[in-house]
Amino acid sequence: MSSSTETLAFLREVRLFKDIAEPELMVLGRSMEERPLKRGQIICREGDPGEEMFVVRRGSIVISKLVTGRVEQVLARIGPGDFFGEMSLFDRSPRSATVQADSEATLLALDREGLRRVTEQSPRAAAAFFHALVLIFIERLRASGDLVAEVTRWGLEATGLDVDAR
Amino acid sequence: MTETEASPTPPRRAKLELLVRRDTDDGFDVREIGSGTAFVRSRPQRVATESYELAEVASRVAGQRSFILKNTATDRFLLLSEPEKFLWEQMDGRTSLQEIATAYVLRYGAFDFDIIPNLMRKLQGAQLLTLTPSSRLRQALARNRRQPVVKAIELGLTALERINISSRNVQRLFTALYRYGGFLLFTRGAVLVCALLAIVGLAAGVKLWREGGDIVAGFGGHAVRAILMVKLLFFLTVAAHQIVHGLALIHYRRRVREFGFTFLHGFVPTFYVDVTDIFMTSRRARVVTAISGAVVHLVLGSLWFVVARSSPLGSFTQAFAAASGMIQWQAFVIALYPFCFIEMDGYHVLADVLGMPTLKQEAMAWVGRLVRGRAPRRFGRHEQVFALYVVLSTISVGLFIAFNIMLVSHARS
Repeated sequence: MSSSTETLAFLREVRLFKDIAEPELMVLGRSMEERPLKRGQIICREGDPGEEMFVVRRGSIVISKLVTGRVEQVLARIGPGDFFGEMSLFDRSPRSATVQADSEATLLALDREGLRRVTEQSPRAAAAFFHALVLIFIERLRASGDLVAEVTRWGLEATGLDVDAR
Repeated sequence: MTETEASPTPPRRAKLELLVRRDTDDGFDVREIGSGTAFVRSRPQRVATESYELAEVASRVAGQRSFILKNTATDRFLLLSEPEKFLWEQMDGRTSLQEIATAYVLRYGAFDFDIIPNLMRKLQGAQLLTLTPSSRLRQALARNRRQPVVKAIELGLTALERINISSRNVQRLFTALYRYGGFLLFTRGAVLVCALLAIVGLAAGVKLWREGGDIVAGFGGHAVRAILMVKLLFFLTVAAHQIVHGLALIHYRRRVREFGFTFLHGFVPTFYVDVTDIFMTSRRARVVTAISGAVVHLVLGSLWFVVARSSPLGSFTQAFAAASGMIQWQAFVIALYPFCFIEMDGYHVLADVLGMPTLKQEAMAWVGRLVRGRAPRRFGRHEQVFALYVVLSTISVGLFIAFNIMLVSHARS
């Protein structure tokens, strides 16, 4: 369990937990497990079952999705304060992307049971958590739209395809 | 209106960030690929031969030829100019757009920056074009990846392809090299010195040939190590060859776009210089640029022969110098001799002079059709050139192998 003062100070800076009061944050901190990662270590592969979400405490993480063979498209690079893996935590579906440490890193893992404990103990903290989550989801959805547009533009430019041609 | 206002910033090109996983472990490399790079490296491929027809349109205007291209599957027609027909013929799925553009410049002596994208749009609209992204070798390897040997070759090629040490910011360096002495290489005095050295080197080489056995004895028991050193030293002179190409560009006031080291075709280590800017100038400039690099080997080979000639008979120095001289002269001949199936400097000069930028590819394709009994009965000028190129190249490669076998047996005896 990670319940040190440093962890608490770190969680206070995480956008996802910014509106959660200190007592609930302490409960949350106690529910999170610290995971050190070596550079290149894979946290989860696309298609793996998932039970946890992770907050990046230190280091850099790359999230990618298989395109073909050994080639994957980089969806995002995230750093301290960012989080991932929440989709499997909620809908119990397999991991949608592969996540790998791009440098030495430390994660804080929150499993379903830990989240349930926090939300049961403090509905106010739960509301703050889910509100922040929705706002970040909206941002990510917009970013996904931008990425789709960028990839489409790349394809058009790379092939010289003229969609106006009849 | 200021100049800045008059020229708005061009739109940013899209980039893809791809993660390429290594086979050996969980490691990966992230590569950022711009759409512009992907475009010039793409290999447009026209539809299969049975899916189109091409016919020339008789024109009343002298010197102007037009062609009708028909997609037999969709009944779509396109009117092509002669340059567009030339480009269409290059779109064989093996030639990249960059190479097609080079071929166009060699053929027509100028470049129209809009012609290729415009033609591609027309062809795509008429469903006459497909795009294949990688070489046939890599496609064949990927198809047979399950075989351990093929997989090992593919891994090796991939690893080697990653090695590319280059700089695109070399114009200033080459300009300085030219200003502080490089210009001397492009004077009549330099040509005279090269000619004299060639004569002296040739005389020394002939005399050394007669003493072959005694010279090789100079290697003693270290023949393999010595040959490896000779090869390594030769490899370094390839850098000098490329630098002289770059200096020739500066001499003709053109731009050296890139200089570096890579593995040619994925497995031949080599230095290279991007001389494409020379296509924007005269044929004479192109020929001088092509020949100047190879002359490095002639000069070095001659100097080595002179050193070998003046060294004590049977000494290690003599053996080393003679072997170095021989390898440099072979490099000179191979670089300038166009008939050897390799697209070296001499081949490019020949293709330029003939105005047939894809001579080798066309000749090989024609021979392939001939072997399969599909070649047209016509035996015009082009077909004569193809036949001559293939016959001379085949004979030359045979003679080259025979010469090297004779060289080894001469040294042994």
